[in-house]
Amino acid sequence: MIFLATFDWGWLLAALLLGFGMGWIAVVHRGHGVPKNLARWLAALVAALLAAALARVIPGRPGYWLDLGLLMLALYLIGCGIGSCLRDWLLPRPASAS
Amino acid sequence: MRGLVRWSSKWWPGTIPLAVLWALAAWTSTSPLETELAGRSTAALKDILLDKSQIAVSGRDVALAADAFSEQGRRSAVAAIEAVPGVRLVNDETRLVPEAKPFVWSAERDVVRVTLTGSSPLPASKGKLLEAARADLGGVEVVDQTNLSRGAPPHFDDAALLLLNQVAKLKDGKITISDSKVSLSGMARDLGGREAIAASLKNLPEGFSVASNEIKAPPYIFQANKDPVTQTLTLTGYVPDNNVRAAIVAAAGRKFFSEKVVNNLKESLGAPSGFAGAVVPALGALSRLSTGTLVVSDREVKLSGDALYEAASSQLRANLFKGFPQGWQVKADISVKPAAAPVDATVCQQLFSEVLAKGTIRFESGRSNIDPDSVGLLDHLIEIALRCPTTNIEVAGHTDADGDSATNQALSEKRAQAVVDYLVKAGLPATRFTAIGYGSTQPVAANGTDEGKAKNRRIEFVVKEQP
Repeated sequence: MIFLATFDWGWLLAALLLGFGMGWIAVVHRGHGVPKNLARWLAALVAALLAAALARVIPGRPGYWLDLGLLMLALYLIGCGIGSCLRDWLLPRPASAS
Repeated sequence: MRGLVRWSSKWWPGTIPLAVLWALAAWTSTSPLETELAGRSTAALKDILLDKSQIAVSGRDVALAADAFSEQGRRSAVAAIEAVPGVRLVNDETRLVPEAKPFVWSAERDVVRVTLTGSSPLPASKGKLLEAARADLGGVEVVDQTNLSRGAPPHFDDAALLLLNQVAKLKDGKITISDSKVSLSGMARDLGGREAIAASLKNLPEGFSVASNEIKAPPYIFQANKDPVTQTLTLTGYVPDNNVRAAIVAAAGRKFFSEKVVNNLKESLGAPSGFAGAVVPALGALSRLSTGTLVVSDREVKLSGDALYEAASSQLRANLFKGFPQGWQVKADISVKPAAAPVDATVCQQLFSEVLAKGTIRFESGRSNIDPDSVGLLDHLIEIALRCPTTNIEVAGHTDADGDSATNQALSEKRAQAVVDYLVKAGLPATRFTAIGYGSTQPVAANGTDEGKAKNRRIEFVVKEQP
């Protein structure tokens, strides 16, 4: 993990920043969210992929790509979380003020 | 927290650029990552003894193929790769180096090169042996065809190093270690090389033994050449040591009464057994030739030359095989010297006196048996007697003054008679010879010294015209 973090730090940072940007926007975004059912399925899929990565069942390059993908996703989500919370905290929306 | 859940449902659009980012990351980073891990894995194996090690990296997984020299070495190689940061899985494709049974190593030398074949225990040993072979054999091409195997006996390196040193002493041949048995065959480079190798083999490390040693040596050659013109006996070739050299030179001095002995002998190991016992009688046979050569090559004696007269030639042929140690071969190529022109009684007497001035007929101490060392001298006397067939010869025996006169008288008579008998046996008519004993009554030197006594103990030939 530490090796991947040091080796691919640029890509991970990009994922984090992308997440931060997306989180920042998400607070004021008026579009549709992911339906709950689909969100569950997606969560289950990610959990299954995480399990596969931890169990190291996927060999060779695909194994590495899975690790990299999950790591980038994790940092994206962290970025999203930080972005959303920061936006919410710094800029109270007019809707909530009324 | 509720806000976060609500917002998170709207985070999905970012996953599309994230997927693109991921694809780009996978596309660009895989190859550098694999190179980095291969480098780190290779470095991790640096201090672990392996043969034919190959590292293949796919993603973060490392496939290690190698020949290890022990189970422990194999395990530690895998553990070393597993410990490399970033490595996810290790595919263990290592195996143990095959075990050789029996463990055979050999060094073969031919005219142009030395070839090492069979098994070597470890890469370090292989390198060390090759280096040692190059150093020992200075300049000779060394070809290493050994394979690495397990199962070498303890102290293998020391044994192989010692044997490589022996290969340097060979002209051609092969030295083999099979488990702890050593076999040698071939031809030593120098005389004595075989003995030097046999001596070195005593230093083989504990546990090793010599199964067969069939190293041959170049022929051990001794030569003696009798040249009547220059009156020399030239000794060349080899003798085993200084004592044998002294004994041979002394025997030559006794047997060759008129020749100067030129000693060009060299000392060397490797003489066949019974060397001195064969050379001394062979020199005796040579002393009976007018001109001749004696060649002793290993255990083969070759005598060639001209006998002084017919009977001597047949006696030589008949007696040549007597007195040689067992296992020796004798070859003779003896012709007879053409008879010299007849001479009258005065010249005959002169010739006898000249020969007897140079040499004395010797007998066993206190007895009348002729010393074998005197046969050469007797042959010369017979040759002279044959040149003056019309004369009668008085063979006169004299003794020194030791002992009582009656005994001396009897001894001198017996000795004179023994000489006459010898002459008759050689084919001269008995009627031409008279044996007379004078005891100690006619000394030619003072009997006070050993030298004087030796001069007084003598046989004289007195030539008389036939009536």
